[in-house]
Amino acid sequence: MTTVDRIAHTNRWRGRSLAEKVVLALGLLVVALAFPPWPTAAAVLAVAATAAIVGAGVAPRTWALVMAAPLGFVVTGAATLLVTIGADGVGLAPNGFADAAGLTLRAGAAAAALLLLAFTTPASDLVAGLARLRLPTELVELALLVYRFLFVLSDTFAAMHAAQEARLGHVGWRRRIRSSGALAANLLPRALDRAHRMEAGLMARGWDGGALRVLTPRRPATVAGLAGVVATLAALVLLGVATR
Amino acid sequence: MHIMEGFLPMGHAIGWTIAATPFVVGGTIALRRTLKERPEARLTLAAASAFTFILSALKLPSVTGSCSHPTGTGLGAMTFGPAVMAPVGLIVLLFQGLLLAHGGLTTLGANVFSMAIAGPWVGWAAWRMATGAGLPIAVAVFLGAALADLSTYVVTSLQLALAFPDPTSGIAGSFVKFAGIFAVTQVPLAIAEGLLTVVVAAALVGRGGDAGHGFAPLSGGR
Repeated sequence: MTTVDRIAHTNRWRGRSLAEKVVLALGLLVVALAFPPWPTAAAVLAVAATAAIVGAGVAPRTWALVMAAPLGFVVTGAATLLVTIGADGVGLAPNGFADAAGLTLRAGAAAAALLLLAFTTPASDLVAGLARLRLPTELVELALLVYRFLFVLSDTFAAMHAAQEARLGHVGWRRRIRSSGALAANLLPRALDRAHRMEAGLMARGWDGGALRVLTPRRPATVAGLAGVVATLAALVLLGVATR
Repeated sequence: MHIMEGFLPMGHAIGWTIAATPFVVGGTIALRRTLKERPEARLTLAAASAFTFILSALKLPSVTGSCSHPTGTGLGAMTFGPAVMAPVGLIVLLFQGLLLAHGGLTTLGANVFSMAIAGPWVGWAAWRMATGAGLPIAVAVFLGAALADLSTYVVTSLQLALAFPDPTSGIAGSFVKFAGIFAVTQVPLAIAEGLLTVVVAAALVGRGGDAGHGFAPLSGGR
């Protein structure tokens, strides 16, 4: 978890406007889904990878490792398109290979577009941006609080897990269930205790239970930046329309 | 079980988003009411949501062992009620997509429908029926958590089958394929999560007092 978040806070595109990054990434996502996988999705994959690695400066190895995570599901899911089940039993599907390859390519392109957003923009910036879209404040506030709790809890989780492993708590199926259960059962009250302490601290500082106001620097979109984003997306749409 | 980014065609992605919206809106209204009455519940709920996210880092033993982790939807539904799980699940799934590349934005609607709506309601109903029938608490909690997982897996398989029907046997044949291939990881996972949740519930009840800060109705019905 911390890999993506650390890069999101330190990459070269950190200072770029939120609007530019969101329009580019979501635009790439839509283009990947709207047109047949070949060649549009391949072009989307190339653009998203180049933007992340060359533009934002994400190490190619890190990019590939994070990309590999969702691939297990994609490959398993695509494999089912290879076979067909009929009255005569299981057989190879007509066009199965092309369908499976197309699906893998499209999912890969979409994942790369999502990763471009995740690698260049901290989740807290995105949620703060959502607040400007007039989404229910309860949801946005809750999301920002969850984001703050995530890192504290994951540190506690890692410490508890390491302590259990050092005592052979995760050797074998039975122990693993027991240790995992003990971990979860100890983590939940800790999380709630922490919430209560935080609440007491905030109340002492005059919090009335309303929205927690924090400063978020606004980075206005530049004409040149937006023009570049729109030109890239337009070129991909043209490619999609031309080869449809 | 998350559907990964880009896996669903555009029409299906939009359709599932529309299907999930009323539940999220209803849950948000329930959330707003709770927060109006008890503003301090905001932090408790945030901590519990973050806890649900962290649970996905917990690797559970499974046959293939690849990406089997508890979803916590059953436990959440049994502690907070199923309605609030829709907006909470939306937030957790959004962060899983953005921080772990697990799930995605275009598949968010479909994933919310299977993991934050179908799972919690089925798990909660199973738990209520089991306690109502006088079954032991441990059995009721096991059923609540395991059936929440199983129903999520069945709904996900159905979503995939609708999107990719089999060339000869159609949606039914495709459902058999997807349900069959994912059963390898998902059925052992449901059993493991059921057992895990029983351990968690026993430990929480064993702590007694205010360990759950009022969020421990696991002693049966509320």
